This record gives sequence, structure tokens and C-alpha cells, in this order.
Amino acid sequence: MTQIGTTPATVLSDAAKLGTKMLTGGQLLHALRDADVQIATTPKDLVWSQDKVSLFHYRPLAQKRVRVPVLICYGLVGRWTMTDLQEDRSLVRNLLNLGLDLYVVDWGNPSRADRYLTLDDYIMGYLDGCVAEIAKRAGVPKVNLLGVCEGGVFTTAFAALEPERVNTLTLTITPIDFHADTVEDRLGHGFINIWTRSLSPEDVDRLIDANGNLPGEFMGAIFNQMSPMRSLLKYNLDLLEIVDDEQRLMNWLRMEKWISDRPDHPGEAAKQWMKDLYQQNKLVRNEWELDGRRVDLGNIRMPVLNVYAKDDHIIPPATSRALAPKVGTSDYTELALSGGHIGVFVGARSQALFAPAVASFVEQHDLAAA
Amino acid sequence: MNPFDYSKAVTDFWTAQGQALMKAQEQAGKALAEGMQAVAFGKFPMMPDMPADLSAGAADLAHASKSVMELWSAATTICGNLATTVPAIAGGNAIVEATFRKMVDPRSWLGGTGEMDDVLGRMAEGPRFADLWEAERRYAGVLQAWMNLRRRGLEHNAVVLQAWLQAGRRFTEQLAARAGADARGLDAKSALALWTETANRQLLETQRSEPFLQTQAAMIRATTELRMAQQELVEHFGKQYGFPTRTELDDVHRTVTELRRELRAMRREQQAPVPATLPAASSEPLRIQRPARRPSAKQRETPK
Repeated sequence: MTQIGTTPATVLSDAAKLGTKMLTGGQLLHALRDADVQIATTPKDLVWSQDKVSLFHYRPLAQKRVRVPVLICYGLVGRWTMTDLQEDRSLVRNLLNLGLDLYVVDWGNPSRADRYLTLDDYIMGYLDGCVAEIAKRAGVPKVNLLGVCEGGVFTTAFAALEPERVNTLTLTITPIDFHADTVEDRLGHGFINIWTRSLSPEDVDRLIDANGNLPGEFMGAIFNQMSPMRSLLKYNLDLLEIVDDEQRLMNWLRMEKWISDRPDHPGEAAKQWMKDLYQQNKLVRNEWELDGRRVDLGNIRMPVLNVYAKDDHIIPPATSRALAPKVGTSDYTELALSGGHIGVFVGARSQALFAPAVASFVEQHDLAAA
Repeated sequence: MNPFDYSKAVTDFWTAQGQALMKAQEQAGKALAEGMQAVAFGKFPMMPDMPADLSAGAADLAHASKSVMELWSAATTICGNLATTVPAIAGGNAIVEATFRKMVDPRSWLGGTGEMDDVLGRMAEGPRFADLWEAERRYAGVLQAWMNLRRRGLEHNAVVLQAWLQAGRRFTEQLAARAGADARGLDAKSALALWTETANRQLLETQRSEPFLQTQAAMIRATTELRMAQQELVEHFGKQYGFPTRTELDDVHRTVTELRRELRAMRREQQAPVPATLPAASSEPLRIQRPARRPSAKQRETPK
């Protein structure tokens, strides 16, 4: 019979190592304050705001190499700070170092008072306002859009409805065909797609009506279900593994800070997100309507760079790649990065590939705008 | 360590969790019974306390099975006493008596509460009188929703517990298989990694299964129904004392959102369209040509 390979000597040795580790880790954690854990520190200025929405302009970190600015648009699930988590893991910083003129939109912290905001408001109201402001400030008729996840859906819809105002469209981990999670059918991938389809439209309505918004904590619980054992071990074994290594501990805490910043998703917008898109899959079918206008993906005639993560369990690659046959341009490029949904932004390998690819794409099409 | 000791540890862990579950059930049932009794005497019920040790510690493992039996026995005794005293309190009220009898049956704490729901349903949804029992009807609605949520929670927990049991079986099988293949043995870290991987896989498979999805959806539905029932009750009293209600605030928020929407549309219309061109040498900002849009019918008609 196989025995677990332990001896009294190894047990004592392991116990001593563990004791040292916990002592060191305890001292580190004791000395740290929340203020020591900073994310999204790249310098930027508030240039426009409306209601709770803020538009920031990053200060340049290198000689500007393009005329047309880029707007980073995150979704309402989570926050854009993921794109600037820390200095050595920052898409924002990398793009600035490559000479891009960069803006980011922050949707603020929607409260119950914002429950009647719709995706029409966010896309054809606030995003529209951001694009207009950036174009005015830069003196250009078009801007480059870089959408992330749900924000990618926002920019896709905007590009389809206002193609004359979008120079290039870069999408990152963006769902287009919300039912394409079944293409690969990988275990643990696409759970949100499956989960949302398990609800009836009336369930969604009641959920929102009861809570006003889609609570950020609720979505956090759904995300945790996607990696059940990881979630259980996170604050014991995972933390113990890195607790005595200051650099790794700080990286871990920064990620925790980002994860804990879960704004509520405005209620009516959440209904559209879950019913129109996840359940009824209207976007890829060109049936989605915003502001009374049909979103026809064939109107996306500007160059498109579609970036997806090969092991993305939240947005399975097939759901993103479904855009290819739908756009009205032949200038369509896909970039597959290793790693998962968040790894695209913070993974060591993607750092070397992601930003250079985006910068090159934007620079290449900068002259087209002129 | 013998690999089968791991299986025993896992089994003990489940037992301890079972103990916690039973304890929670007992406390919840006891609190409910006390609450109903208090209501019968015109007092406000106390909220049930959550057990502090839902995640059982290592010291509890050895006593888990014994404790479960003791708890079950204690619960049965308490319920037996209640079942004989409550009819006297109810004073011949058949509905209340039936409710109490069902409520204090320990089996109903683990199984369904269908009859209970029926009774509460009659209380909450029965024919209305213009001026009678409005508050009581709402209390009953909250209680009915709470019972339903509890039942849905148990149904969902049963599915999850089954997944854990299956994971345990798989883990044991894999350990046994390795016992034959690898003479060097499995260190503790590898054993934990194997357990983590095995359990993760089982849980992920379960999460995609119909029983899991259906019971989870039912639980979410029950949660929202409870919240709505609570809101209705609070609003009933809020109105009486002149406090602003959630519904009234929602009305205001809807109005503000619609006004902001109209304001945005008006601002857009005011922007005169100018043909867009890039500046030559100067960096003078351009006014961008954008189609003026009126708020669509969909925009104007905010969903209720």
C-alpha cells in the first residue's frame, strides 16, 4: 500500500519552515495599510464628466507617435483599473510608452438612483459624449476605440451605429456571439453563458426589480463559482504560499483590491445585458436596438483588431471570434494571446505582445484618418 | 499517512459539515417555532442566530457523529414537546395547529415544506377584505417566502453535497489506483493537489448539470420573492408613518433619468453640424459633424 511520503524529520523541517514563513508574512501584513496598496497610478487628468461618468486623459510618457487618440472603454462589470494594475503590469503604461495618446472612461459607482439607466444611455449617451469630447480636443473627426469585455460590446455597437466617428476598433476579450460557448464546450468555460440561459427572462426582471441593480457582490459570487476550489483555497493556501514574499504579496493584494472594487451594474442596463445579449443573442444576429436604431455589425467598416485569450473561461474565444464574418471590412485581424481573461492584462507573456500589437495597429492606421 | 486515512479525514470533514448543517437547521427551526409562538402571544419574534461554527474546526471532527446524534435527539425532543403544547396555544384553530405540527416536524427541516407553503399561501393569498388583516397578510407573505427560500436552499445544497460525495469517491479511487502504480508514495502537497483537482472537476461538471442550474435558479427566484415580500411589508408601515418608500424613490429616480436623457438629446440637437475635416497646420479644434437625434420611443419610455 502506498504511504504518504512523510517522516518525523521532514515533518519537523516543514513545520519550522512554515513557522518562519508565517512569522515573516505576519510582520509584512501587520505593517501594511490599505493606502500602501495602490492601483491605477499612471498620471492622468479629468477632462470631461457627465452625471457619474468621468473621462480621463493620460499624461504622455513618451514622444507622441499618432495623431488620433485612443479611448479605453471598460464595461460596467468590474472597472478599467485592471488595465493599469501596477507599473510593470500595465496596458496603459505600455501604450503610453509606445507613443499613443490615451483616454479612459470611468463609469463611476452606479447606485440605486441609477437603476433606470439603460445601455442606450451608456453607449449612445455617455460613450457618445466621450468620443465627441476627445475628437474636439484632438481636432480630429474620428477616434480609436479600445473596448474591453462588456466595454467591447459598447464600442462594437457604437462603431456599428456611428462608423464615421471611429477610426479603428480594437476589441479585447469581447463577447459577440453569446451562444458560441457551446462551440468548444470546455469544462469550466462559459459558465456565465450557461447560467444566464438557465434563468427565464422573468427571473432576470424579478432579480433586478428586487435589488434595483445587479449587485457587484452577486456577480462576484457567480465569478467565484467558475473556479470553485480556487475560491476555497484563495485565502488560506494561496495566500500562505506568497505571504512572506513582499513583491508577490503586493501583487496579490493589488489584484485583490481590483477584485473587491465591484460596482453595481445599473438595473435596466443589466436586464438588457442579460436578456437581449446573453439570452437572446441579439448582437450577432444584428437584431439589437439602441436608441431606436438597429446595431448592424456590417456597418463596422473601419479596421478591426480583435484580441482574445486562448484560455478565457469567462469569454470563450469562439464567442469573440464570431465577429470575423460579420464585419463590413476586410481589414480584420485577430490576435490570440496565451492565458485567461485577466491574464491578458497582467500576464508576463502578454505584456510583451499585447500593447505592441495594439500600438502598431493604431499607428499603422493613423495616416488613414488624415 | 495511509491514503485511506485521507478518505477518513474527508469523510470526517463531511460529517462535521453535516453537523453544522444540522445545527443550523435545529436553530432555524427552533427560532421559527419560538417566533410563531411569540406572534401567537402578540410579541415580535427574534431573528435566528447564525451558528458560529458553520465551518467546523479540527477539534470537532472526532465528536462529529456523536454530536449529530445528540443534536438530532435534542431536536426531536424539543419538537415533540412543541407538538403537544402548540395545539393548546392555538385554541382549536385548525390552520394554525396544522402549521405548527408541520413546522415542528424535524423531517420537514430537511425535506420539503409543501403543506406549510399551502397553509401560508392561504393566509397570504386568500380572499381579501377591504380593511382587515392587511399587515398580517404581509407578514404571512414574508414568512411564506422565507420558508420557500429555505426549502429551495436545501434542495440546492443537496445537489452540491452530492457533488462533494462523488468527488470523494473519485479521490479515493485515484488514491487506490496510485497505490498500485507508484511505490514511492504521495506527499501531502501532491495529495492536496490531487484532491483539489478532483473536487474542482466534479464541481465544474455539477455546475453545468440541469439539477444544479434548476435548483440554483429556483433559489435565486425564492430570494427575490422574499426580498419583494419584505419590501412590501416595510412599505406598508412606511406609508402609515409618512416615510418615503422604495417605490416612491424609484419613481423619482426614473423621472430624473428620463429628464437627463431628454437634456442630453436637446444638447445634441443644439450642436450645429459642420463638415468634418482635419486641420492643416493649425491645431484648432474642429466641431464634429454628428447627426442630431431625437430620443427614441424606446428611450422615452423607460422600462417600468
